[in-house]
Amino acid sequence: MSNDDRITLECKELTKTYFSTEPPAKVLHGIDLAVRTGEFLVVMGASGSGKSTLLYSISGMDRPTTGSVLLEGRELTSLDDAEMSRVRLTRMGFIFQQAYFLSNLNIQDNILLPALKAAPGDRDAVVERVDALMERFGIGHVKRHGVTQVSGGQLQRASICRALAGRPAVLFADEPTGALNSSMSAEVMNALTDVHGDGATIVMVTHDPACAARAERVVFLRDGLLVDTREQGAWTAETAKQREDDLFSWLSSNGF
Amino acid sequence: MSLHAPESWSFTVTIRDSIALRYSYNDLTRNKGVNLALIVILVFSAFLMATGSMVIERVLSSMDQFFDEARPPHFLQMHKGAYDRAELERFASEHPEIDAWLIEEMLGYDSAAIAWERSSTGEGGDLADSLIDNLFVTQNAEFDFLLDENGSIPRPDAGEVYVPVAYREQFGIEVGDLLRVQTAEGVQELRVEGFVRDSQMASSLSQSTRFLISEDDFAAMSAAGGAIPEIIVEYRLTDTSLVQDFQTAYESDDALPKNGESVPYQLLRIVNALSDGLVAAALMFASLLLVAIALLNARFVIRGTLEDEVRQIGAMKAIGLPNRTISGLYLAKYRAMTFLACVVGGLLAIAAAQMLTRTVQVDYGAAEVDLVSVLVPVLALAFVYVFVIAICRRVFGKIRRIEVVNALVHGSTLDDRQTARRAAREVKRVRRTSLAAFGGGNLNRRLALLDLRAEARQWVLIPIVMFLAAVLMTLPMNLLSTLSDPAFVTFMGSPESDLRADLEFSEDVDAVHGDLLAAMSADEGLENVRAFANVLYETEGEEGWEVLRVDVGDFSSAAMPFIEGGPPGTGEIALSVMNAEKYGLATGDEILVRLDGEPSNLTVSGVYQDITGGGLSAKMQGEVDAGAASYTVFADTAAGADTAELVAEYADAFPSAKVTPMREFMEQTLSYVTDAVRNAALLTFAFGLGVALVITSLFLKLRLTRDRQKMGMLSAVGFSTNELIAQVRGKTLAAVVVGTVLGSVFAATGGESVAGSLLALAGLGIVDLEFLPNPWLVYLAYPLLLISAGYLGAVFLTSRLRGADKSSWLRG
Repeated sequence: MSNDDRITLECKELTKTYFSTEPPAKVLHGIDLAVRTGEFLVVMGASGSGKSTLLYSISGMDRPTTGSVLLEGRELTSLDDAEMSRVRLTRMGFIFQQAYFLSNLNIQDNILLPALKAAPGDRDAVVERVDALMERFGIGHVKRHGVTQVSGGQLQRASICRALAGRPAVLFADEPTGALNSSMSAEVMNALTDVHGDGATIVMVTHDPACAARAERVVFLRDGLLVDTREQGAWTAETAKQREDDLFSWLSSNGF
Repeated sequence: MSLHAPESWSFTVTIRDSIALRYSYNDLTRNKGVNLALIVILVFSAFLMATGSMVIERVLSSMDQFFDEARPPHFLQMHKGAYDRAELERFASEHPEIDAWLIEEMLGYDSAAIAWERSSTGEGGDLADSLIDNLFVTQNAEFDFLLDENGSIPRPDAGEVYVPVAYREQFGIEVGDLLRVQTAEGVQELRVEGFVRDSQMASSLSQSTRFLISEDDFAAMSAAGGAIPEIIVEYRLTDTSLVQDFQTAYESDDALPKNGESVPYQLLRIVNALSDGLVAAALMFASLLLVAIALLNARFVIRGTLEDEVRQIGAMKAIGLPNRTISGLYLAKYRAMTFLACVVGGLLAIAAAQMLTRTVQVDYGAAEVDLVSVLVPVLALAFVYVFVIAICRRVFGKIRRIEVVNALVHGSTLDDRQTARRAAREVKRVRRTSLAAFGGGNLNRRLALLDLRAEARQWVLIPIVMFLAAVLMTLPMNLLSTLSDPAFVTFMGSPESDLRADLEFSEDVDAVHGDLLAAMSADEGLENVRAFANVLYETEGEEGWEVLRVDVGDFSSAAMPFIEGGPPGTGEIALSVMNAEKYGLATGDEILVRLDGEPSNLTVSGVYQDITGGGLSAKMQGEVDAGAASYTVFADTAAGADTAELVAEYADAFPSAKVTPMREFMEQTLSYVTDAVRNAALLTFAFGLGVALVITSLFLKLRLTRDRQKMGMLSAVGFSTNELIAQVRGKTLAAVVVGTVLGSVFAATGGESVAGSLLALAGLGIVDLEFLPNPWLVYLAYPLLLISAGYLGAVFLTSRLRGADKSSWLRG
């Protein structure tokens, strides 16, 4: 629902080379990409095309080799580790393929962890907000449960709650349904679509055309280069089937 | 068919072996750091085990060989002054168990009366620094030979002298040097022809040493005067098991000379073996600790390997490989590593044992290297190998319980029941914590503590290892500082003092004693002057009256500890531990003694520890100024006075008194033992620190690999690398501190009794060892160093987290 022309996240001439291999592996070859405020953007491409590398480079988890990354107009590549961590804490949210949680904390504590760290003096308000998020995504009843006591879908929805608890400017999702069966995948994608409906900016990497169909824009990466872009407008349940088919033919034309 | 069977069999074996070897090789090269750390610890263990066993074997066989060649007496009695030879002959004729006996005449000179000079270079000096008695003797005819360095029996010609090997070490005397002995009539010049080893007086605890000269020179020096004549009556028995009874018989015979020390054969052996045996025991003890540490680590690494490779193992089980084959595959690596460690450790041990037994070789001569010398360390190493592999095999036994489906689908080494149990544990743990109710404070610290609690089963390795390392470092050091402490003299049955003057039996000993005591009491440079007389009482033993050496003096203010009871008052007697044991007496019991035939009943006032003179002594309150076998005067130096000057002054004024500064006396008496223990302490110190560093690094290396995804997640949600590093370092520091503190506390409390009971077993007259530690060193500097070493490992490993791409952590 990108009703805004403002740019939240932007990268210019971004390259990434891994020097740990022999010879060094150049994975990104100069990517220019701008994510509009409130946009739901999906990055697709074959395995090894550099999707995840792009995601982690623009989110500050990895340091790009050259190029610049701007979040809300602020250059990220020149920040030191502590400043970058602060940006991730307060302005970014992450959802991974596997739901990484601390097994010695319950679900609620896991969600609270970054939010409490960001606003230690505001505990009551943070707890209230997290409880509301958990209710909204249907996991309020398992908040005291351990990580091993809930389903994969519930865990991934907990990931979404954790990512949202800090009110981020942008939400990064790396194959969030990759480890789930189709019904759990649908649960998670519904949740993400819901969040996007509230105005969240989302950058998602996925293999799954059904998930990608939810996005407003799909970019296609091949061998570290952005080779194609597809604008597909806002998603509705009624047009879902048609969008998936169209997207599939577009992907086929890109050799996916 | 039968022709083909062996071929196919050998083919299978080759394939299997080569797969196991290839797997081992790949794994060794892939996990270089972890495997290297494990090998280092295994090498340490193998090295110490081999060194300890080699030292023991070398000491014992050198001593055996030396004793065989030198034929030391089975019982000897020293004596000064007049004696009746006819009585000794009578005694010998009455005792058929005597194989041979002799009276060795000796001329005793003060160290200051002996000087040496090297005419070629003009170098020279005197032996004044030596505090032990110098006795000039001729070679014996039948037994108790002084041996030269080749193990043969030298017989010097006129003008030649053989010097104790210890003096070559101490003063650098060489063959060809001139030795000048000051006699009453002038200087007797002798040329150093060689060096001799002495089966009686080689030991560090011996207070005298023998020089070998010709019959002619002996006669000349004897006639020239200036020496204190002394004899040793020596006996070889037909059977060494008769020594105890023989000693009793000798001591209960009134007519025999016995105002000096008496030494039975067994004591000679124990005392000789003590110093080097102590080091060997310390090394073996250290090795066992290291083997324990190596095993803990191997177990930790193996369990980690099983968890990491559970899917592979599941696949192997799925295609039908038997458990034995799978564990054999993994075990091959540990076999290779342990074998390599044993070989390397064994080779290093050859050099170390050579170094540690250097003094043994000087004093006793090097024993032949025979089959046993090789077998002993090899067996010790085989023990290490078999033990380590057996434990590894046990841990790999877990493979049997791994279920294929759980392994392949969930990547879990646990079966359903174990998985359920673990989940239940987690649930319980999770219920007890709540960040929602967490009242603020440091979130990082909180997470670190939660981790420690949840992963306690893994982290406990660090405190255990640090505990063992602390014990390993502290015990030998405490033993060393105890032996070097001036107060250790109290274990030698003497009060603490700055100087002592010994007056041995001579014609005018009573008069000299009176003069000396008067002079010292009047001296403003001395205070706290206490005189003790060594009186030969008699008491009833199993076979009649026997000698009881009693120090008589004023014990009311004597600063010496009693392990039970206290100092003797009038009508009381205090006994050394070994005497109390010998006569089966405790505080409050009565003992019948007699002096000059006059019996009296005394009450035992207390028991003290004494390691000198075989540990058999007693103390009685009183004043004796005539008729004693010897006298000792102890005194403290007054503030401002110089001990060395006073010693020199009194040695000049009273030539027949042996005046010694206590500190030097202690240092020289115990120097071999302390040197040996110092070596052991240095070695264990280095190993303790090394182990702390290596193990913490190894543990963290594996731990960090396992925690990568967790760190990646924490990094994504906003924890900086520095915070993650601080968490790991904090956890490590906590684990390291807990282990080190517990280890130091144990070394100070339980360790003391462990070391004490080991010494008590040695039968040296110490039953209750009280450490005299250097608290700043062992309870502050050592723990701090150990903690620093452990922490350094954490710093080293965690600093490599900086600069890493965090996404690589998430990818596992």
